[in-house]
Amino acid sequence: MKRLALASAISVLAMPALASDITVGFAIAQSGWLEAYDTPAATAAKIRIDEINANGGLLGRQIKWVEADTKTDRQQSARAGLQVIDEGADMMVVSCDYDFGAPAALSAETEGMVSFFLCAEDVKAGIQGVGPHSFSGSVLAAVQGATMAEWSHAKREARTGYVLLDTTIEYNKGICTGFDWMFPQLDGTEIVGRDTFKNDDASIASQITRIKALPEEPDVIMLCSYIPGAASAVRQIRAAGINSLILNGSAVDGSYWLDATPDLSGFVVPVQGSIYGDDPRPEVETFNVAYEKATGSRPASSYAYPGYVLMDLWAKAVERAGTLDGAAVTAELEKMKGENTAFGPRSFSQELHHQNAAEMQIIEITDGKPAAVDSWTISQPVPLDVLLN
Amino acid sequence: MTNLAQLFFDAASLGGLYAMAALGIALIFGVMNLVNFAHGEYIAFCVFALIVPSTDAVAVMLLGRAPALLLVPLVLSLGAAIAIASEYAVFRHLRRADPVAMMISSFALGFVIRNALLAIYGGRPKAISLWPELNTPVAIVGADVPLLQLIVILTTLLVVAGLAGLLKKTRLGLEMRAAAENFTMARLLGVKANVVITGAFALSGALAAAVALIMATQTGVADVRMGGQIMLVAFIATVIGGLGSLPGAVAAGFLIGAASVLLQAFLPLDARPFRDAFLYSLVIVCLLVRPQGLFVPASAKPRV
Amino acid sequence: MPSQHAQNRLAAYSTPLILSAVLLAFVLLVVVLDDKALARTAAEALVRVTLVVGLWIFVGNSGVISFGHAGYMAIGAYCSAWLTLKPQSKALFLPDLPPWLMDAQWPVFPAAIASGLLAALVALLSGAAILRLSGIAASIATFAFLAIVNTVYSNWEGVTGATSSVVGLARYVDHWVALAWATAAIVAANLYANSASGLALRATREDEVAARASGIDMYRHRLWSLVISAFFTGISGALLGHSIGVLNPDSFYLGITFISLAMLVVGGIGSLSGAVTGVLLLSLLIELLVRAERGITVGGAEFALPSGSQEILIGVAMIVVLILRPAGLTGGREFKLRLSVPRIPLSQEPTSTN
Repeated sequence: MKRLALASAISVLAMPALASDITVGFAIAQSGWLEAYDTPAATAAKIRIDEINANGGLLGRQIKWVEADTKTDRQQSARAGLQVIDEGADMMVVSCDYDFGAPAALSAETEGMVSFFLCAEDVKAGIQGVGPHSFSGSVLAAVQGATMAEWSHAKREARTGYVLLDTTIEYNKGICTGFDWMFPQLDGTEIVGRDTFKNDDASIASQITRIKALPEEPDVIMLCSYIPGAASAVRQIRAAGINSLILNGSAVDGSYWLDATPDLSGFVVPVQGSIYGDDPRPEVETFNVAYEKATGSRPASSYAYPGYVLMDLWAKAVERAGTLDGAAVTAELEKMKGENTAFGPRSFSQELHHQNAAEMQIIEITDGKPAAVDSWTISQPVPLDVLLN
Repeated sequence: MTNLAQLFFDAASLGGLYAMAALGIALIFGVMNLVNFAHGEYIAFCVFALIVPSTDAVAVMLLGRAPALLLVPLVLSLGAAIAIASEYAVFRHLRRADPVAMMISSFALGFVIRNALLAIYGGRPKAISLWPELNTPVAIVGADVPLLQLIVILTTLLVVAGLAGLLKKTRLGLEMRAAAENFTMARLLGVKANVVITGAFALSGALAAAVALIMATQTGVADVRMGGQIMLVAFIATVIGGLGSLPGAVAAGFLIGAASVLLQAFLPLDARPFRDAFLYSLVIVCLLVRPQGLFVPASAKPRV
Repeated sequence: MPSQHAQNRLAAYSTPLILSAVLLAFVLLVVVLDDKALARTAAEALVRVTLVVGLWIFVGNSGVISFGHAGYMAIGAYCSAWLTLKPQSKALFLPDLPPWLMDAQWPVFPAAIASGLLAALVALLSGAAILRLSGIAASIATFAFLAIVNTVYSNWEGVTGATSSVVGLARYVDHWVALAWATAAIVAANLYANSASGLALRATREDEVAARASGIDMYRHRLWSLVISAFFTGISGALLGHSIGVLNPDSFYLGITFISLAMLVVGGIGSLSGAVTGVLLLSLLIELLVRAERGITVGGAEFALPSGSQEILIGVAMIVVLILRPAGLTGGREFKLRLSVPRIPLSQEPTSTN
């Protein structure tokens, strides 16, 4: 250890002053509504950076970071991207949301620099929507929907499904796409109805009336939405006396909103890792503890994890490539097949810089208490043409 | 297939919510020609007042813990307070400005309130458990109606009746109606402008607070953007109803709510995401047919 | 007094010269400073000048507040995307485009013109209905129009990609391109305002009844100004798309509607100079506050505004300006070269020239 530190000290001395540190540029929302999602994931990425630095750094060099605020604004995002490039970034980390991260990521792409979305789950957050050097640290929305379909069929005898889609953002459609692809493939299943709403609808009474008009209550309701609309929908669904198992995407993870529906039961969320201290993998809990030490509280949702994963994967690729060059690092990342991380194996390919299958923890909420009840990996990856519909 | 009674309750409760918000906007427009775009932020402000200011993910109830008997008047007066405060700080200095400048200032004020809420409470929506027992369904004439829907409908009727009484029977009401008819003339006849305007803002703020309480109970969440959609619908209802006409605003609010529910219920699935496009096309048609609104107040007649 | 009349006209035409010179100076300053992020800020501000000047052509001359212009922006922005994107990516993300549009791969300049024309065409059709109304009813109808455009573009899967963003737009809009379009918009706005139609429309703004009594066909002039206005608004939408690189219907909704109206009103809704002043000053103030949030050094002491305070302060600044100057910073006056005659406020011009 001491020798390693010494070696890195010598290598630091040997290099020109400017190149002595590796710079990670965070072009993320530090204000506006997206801040609540970007900050936890960025914090997780920084935790991984600190770990790497403590272990002697990357290529023998220390990693430092620079930050620019996108203010949850698309134009400001493009500017923030340019700003971190001007400040010497060697790779760029951009916002969780595709729309707000892409303008910055496009600036990185112009420079041939690797960029990572903190937790975007749209297939566009990668090659298809930014370019060949862009990646996402998270798991595709469609995988979450497909996981819900297959798991509920296998473990909860779900045969009839109802699809309730919030058309406000693309993420929601991704969830439903995955569910619609997987569920009809399974034995004896039928989608008995579907409906749409908007996240800011003051009431979804007429959507609920339609569910209640069905001859039989569906086994599961696939709710493709996010907070606050999802919480509001669940409250209204349960208030109307509908007791179907409600399936969701990862976006509704976190116990912080459960007060909206006291004593909620039969509510299932697929996540990359459990924040509730009951994940079967000890590394996850180790991270939760490290996060609590760094910020004073445990992660509010599983959306902190992709930040940690992306920094881990990028550093490994840099180590293997032996350089920070965007093309070389991208090539190494694309070689990763089932690469181990604290949150399960991750793969990239030349077609997809995203996870089209992943081990997900199943969190079920019973009497208002969330708990990890199972772990599930879909039997076949979501095909690219389904993702691109 | 779809139960008619159920449909009626769905439409009436959404319409009631819109009607109350429209009333809040129409009241202020009546006395000072101000289209108050900060109304949506008054709603958000009142919802957030229920919880402890903090950027933590888990919300802790503040006012929300008080018993209903205390909570309702408290939140209503809080809504009135922020409306009066905004009149005092901003709109009082703009009385002589033209309506466009006032409208843009109200928008700027809303922007300030929204961003202040964001800074204080953080961008993550918060959960609020306000009277969850109101969300239990009750069976009425063959329909399963959440208790809250009934309360919304009743509250709207009560508020409208109360307001009508206030405007008809009290001196302040008389002055407000006079001011809405012809503000200059009313002042010449001894109506105190400040009293009337402050009164209108107080009522409008209280109505925003009522909407806030209903929304918080119905959705169980607090989000800075939650007042926006309702405010826009209310604004449209105010115009369709006939600007300055309070009964018109209420009727148009109910009408838009009903149209929205009916479209959701009867449009085929593929067209359902386009619901709002149909709704707003109806708005344009309605305006073209009756440009002065459904209920034309005497003051709206052009004078030369 | 024909000579004074001619001088007035000349003075009126000096306004675009002054405004363009100011914009040019602004761009040259940015070029000298050689800061990438600043150059981008300048390009964005100039795109906004194009937008707000486009908005002014209708709102400033007719006096009708339009909430619908963001809709014309969206139409322009998506049109440019349809025409310039690579056919392969359109086949992938926008599969329902008609074949001729699918195969189109136009250069950016004709695509921008086409975007403006499409927006103008939609303005002609929508305006034909909406402009039968006046006052606040017309404003609400323009808002309904915006909501319709937004709902349609947010859900028309195969043509606009719905809520899924359209990607791959060439980011060609730098400060020079934006400057050229801003200047073009300013010149066109000035020409229109001083044309017979523009003067007639401003007469209806001052006194609708009297103008009608003088035989002015208000509907026709309003429609005409809306069409020209939508042309430049559509182009500003295309420019915005090619500056961000990603299109989403959400970018063209209430946020941009209000900020563009706010810039117009703060600058002074009554004059073209007001429109440009409002954009430049508010953009400058926003940039200063953003930098202050990042931290600035004053006399050796570093201080930074808390994150998120920029939005609050900009709102407060707008309110303060409107309280102090309800008619906007320029108060409805134009910047003009002083010839021998004293400056005359624009709103009085019709009386002095008649």
